[in-house]
Amino acid sequence: MHTYLCSAALVAVLAAPAFAADFKFAVTTDPQTMDPHAVNSAPVLGFLNNVYEGLVRRGKDMSIEPSLAASWEPIGNGEGWRFNLRRGVTFHDGAEFNADDVIFSYERASHEAADVRSWFAPVSSVVKVDDFTVDIMTSAPNPIFPDSIANWMMMDSGWAEANGAARPDKESGNYATLNANGTGTFRITAREPDLRTVLEPFGGWWDTAEHNITRAELTPIQNSATAMSALISGDVDFINPVPIQDITRLQQNPDVNVIQGVEARVIMLGFDQQAGAAESGQGASDLFLDARAREAVAKAVNVPAILQTIMRGNAAVASQLVSPAMRGFSEAVTPYAHDPEGARALIEEAGIAGSTVNFKCPNNRYLNDESVCQAVTSMLAQVGLEPVLNAMPVQNYWPELRADNFDMYLLGWSPGTLDAEHPIRFLGSTPNGEKKLGSWNFGGYSNARVDELLPRIQSEIDDGKRQKMLDEVATIISDEVAYVPMYVQPLVWGARSNIALTQRPDNFFILRWVTVN
Amino acid sequence: MLSFMLRRVGQSILVLLVVGLVAFSMFRFVGDPIDNMLGQERTLEDIERLEQQLGLDRPFPVQYLRFLEGAIQGNFGVSYRQGREVSEILLERAPATLELAAVSAVLAILLGIALGVYTAIRRDGFVANFIMSTSLIGVSLPTFLIGILLIYLFSVELNWLPSFGRGEVVDLGGWTTGLLTASGLKSLILPSITLGLYQMTLIMRLVRSEMLEVLRQDYIRFARARGLADRTIHFRHALKNTLVPVVTIIGLQLGAIIAFAIITETVFQWPGMGLLFINAIQFVDIPVMAAYLMLISVMFVAINLIVDILYAFIDPRLRVAGK
Repeated sequence: MHTYLCSAALVAVLAAPAFAADFKFAVTTDPQTMDPHAVNSAPVLGFLNNVYEGLVRRGKDMSIEPSLAASWEPIGNGEGWRFNLRRGVTFHDGAEFNADDVIFSYERASHEAADVRSWFAPVSSVVKVDDFTVDIMTSAPNPIFPDSIANWMMMDSGWAEANGAARPDKESGNYATLNANGTGTFRITAREPDLRTVLEPFGGWWDTAEHNITRAELTPIQNSATAMSALISGDVDFINPVPIQDITRLQQNPDVNVIQGVEARVIMLGFDQQAGAAESGQGASDLFLDARAREAVAKAVNVPAILQTIMRGNAAVASQLVSPAMRGFSEAVTPYAHDPEGARALIEEAGIAGSTVNFKCPNNRYLNDESVCQAVTSMLAQVGLEPVLNAMPVQNYWPELRADNFDMYLLGWSPGTLDAEHPIRFLGSTPNGEKKLGSWNFGGYSNARVDELLPRIQSEIDDGKRQKMLDEVATIISDEVAYVPMYVQPLVWGARSNIALTQRPDNFFILRWVTVN
Repeated sequence: MLSFMLRRVGQSILVLLVVGLVAFSMFRFVGDPIDNMLGQERTLEDIERLEQQLGLDRPFPVQYLRFLEGAIQGNFGVSYRQGREVSEILLERAPATLELAAVSAVLAILLGIALGVYTAIRRDGFVANFIMSTSLIGVSLPTFLIGILLIYLFSVELNWLPSFGRGEVVDLGGWTTGLLTASGLKSLILPSITLGLYQMTLIMRLVRSEMLEVLRQDYIRFARARGLADRTIHFRHALKNTLVPVVTIIGLQLGAIIAFAIITETVFQWPGMGLLFINAIQFVDIPVMAAYLMLISVMFVAINLIVDILYAFIDPRLRVAGK
C-alpha cells in the first residue's frame, strides 16, 4: 500500500510538467481595462480576479474565505472590522504587501474617479493599526461588509505612485489601464487590448497552485459562430458563453463538454408605477398604478412555457429578485402561478381590457431577451391586453427607461454583493438621488415599509433577525407585484473535454481551478 | 490642368465635411455610451457628471465642430472603451486590415484575370462552363455565409486551417505583419478568399466579356491570318486591350475591399479596423466610430480623386468641358 501511494505520488509529480499546458480561452467581451478600481463590470473584475487579490476571496461555492487577510473579526458592537493581513505576500514585481497597500487601495478605490467606490459607502475610515493589521470602521454596524469586498483588489502603493497611476483614470487611461501588478496566481506578460492578453503563473504566489497552466491566453471573440468553430476545431480550449440554441449540438460532440449552471442574474418584468407617468414619458399610461393590473400580468405570463421553448429547458423559475444561490434568499415567497382565467378576471375587474401596454425590451443584453419579450407579448394579448412591443439595442434601451417612455419593461439583475439586500437597495427602494437609493427603480415603485426596513437590514448583525426582515421585504414586494420575477438566467460554458474547471454563479472564470489533462 | 485638380480637391473636401456631418448626426441614434462606461452601481449624479465631461450634453453642431477642430490637428480624441488615443488604436489596427485587403486584392486580380482569359478562350469547354456557373456562387452568396462555410469545412471538419485570428505576427517597427510566419500565412488564407471572392468573380466576368468582344475584332482576325501563334494573339494583342476598363474597376474596388472587410473581419475575428468599428458601435464608442468613418471616406475620396485625375491624363476630353 505504502509503495503504491509513493509510486502514485511519483507519477503525479512526473506527469504534472508533461501535462502542464498552454490554455487558450475566448470570451465575448474583452476586459476594457486592467485597472481593478476603474470599472465595475463582470468582464473586468472576473478576469482581474486571476491577477489581483482582495483581503477576502470567494471559494468554489461562493463562500467567503481568507485571501490577503488571514483572518478578520468584528470590532466592538459593530463599529467596524479588523483584518489581520497575511505575512510574506509579495506583488508580482517583488514588493512586499502590507497595511500601507490596504490604505492606499482604499483611497484609490473610493476615489471619485473609481467606479467601485459605492462598495465603500458604509465605510467611515480605514486605520492602520500596525504593518499587518487594518481596522475598517463603518458608520453603522455592517454584518456583510467582508462579503461585499471580495472584489476589492489590492494594489501596491509604490508601484502605482512610481508609474503615475495613483488614481484610476477610466476616461483617458493611465499606466494601470494596460499594466498590472497584483499578488494573484497569474501575472500579465502581454496585453494587447481587444486582441489578446497573456498570463503566466506567478512563481512567488503565497498559496499552493491547483492548476497546471504554464501559459494562458485570452482572446475576445464577439461572433458566437466563430467562437463555436474555434472551440470545436480546438483553436481555443474554452468559450463563454455558448449560445442556448447550440447546446444540444455541442453535447453530441465527444471532444467538447458543456458546463451548465445557474447565473446570479434574475430576469424580471418591471412596471411604471408613478402617478402622472402619462405626462412624464412618451406613450406611458397610468395603467400599472393599479396593483390588479400588475397581478394580472404575473398570472398571464407562463414562465415554464417560456423556459421550455425559448430557453430549451436550461433555466430555472425565479420566485423573487434574487436566485436561491444568494445569501438572504427568502423561502417565504413562491413563484406566481400561471392562471390565465384569473388574469382575465382581474383585467375585467380593473376595467382595463383592451388597454395598450407600451412594452420596452432590449434585444442584445440578456440571453434571448427579444424572444422572451415576444412570448410575454402574446401571453398578455391572450388575456385581453394590447401590448405593443418595442425591442431595441441596450445602448438605446437605458436612456429610454430613464426617460420613462414605458409601461412595462424587461430587466435582469445580478447582485454585485451576492446578497438579497442588493436588489432592495437598487430596485425596491423609493428612488432617492441623495441617499443613492433606487437608482435602477425605473418604474418608481415605492413602499414605506421597505424603505424603513432597508437600513435596518443593512446594519443587523444577527443573521436570524436579518433574514426575518429580508423575508418581510420579499413578501411585500411579491404581494404588491412590484416586479414579476421570471427566471434565473442560465450560465453555459463550453470547454474541450480534457479541461477540468469550476463554474461559479457569478460567471467569473477562475484560472487557478483549471487543469488541462 | 492645375485648376482642374484644385477644383477636384475642393470638391473632395466638401464631400468629406458632408460625410462627417451625416455620420455625426447619426451617432445620436446609435445610443448612449454612458451606461456602458459606468457600472451597475452608478448613480444619476455619475451619469450627469460623465455626460458633461464627455461633452455629450452639448448640442450636436457644437460636438461636430469640436470633433472637426481636433481632427484637423490630427487628434481624434480618446476611445470611451479602451481609454487610449483613437489614432494610436487605428494605427495599431491598420496593418491587419491593409494586409488582408492587399492579399485579397492580389488574389482577386491574378485569379480573376487568369480565369477570365481562360473562360473566354475556351468559351464552350466543360471546365470553362463549370467555372462560370460556380462563379455565380461568389456573386450571389453573402460574404459572412461564405466565411462560415469555409471555417466549417477547413477548420472544423478538416482541421487544416485556423478558424479565427491572425496567427503569430512579427512587429516591424510599428507595422505588424503576419506574412513572415507560418501561422500568420495559414491564418490569411480563409479570410482573404472570403474577402476577395466577390471581387474575383467580378473581375473574371468582366475580363471574359471584354476578351470575347476583343476576340471578335478585325485586327485579331488579321493577326490569325498572318499566322501568329495563339498565345501571342491572346496575351499580346487581345489581353492588353481588354485591361483598360478592368484597371478602372480594380481601382474602384480596392476601396470597397477595405470597407467590406468589416464583415470578413467579424466572422474571422480578424483584428483589423473593421472589427474595431463593429465593437465600437456596440459600445457606442463615438470617437472611434467618427475616426473610422472619416478615414474610410478619406480613402474613397482619395481613390476617386486619383481615378479622376488619371482619366484626365488618359483622355484630354475630360479636362473640364469648354476649356
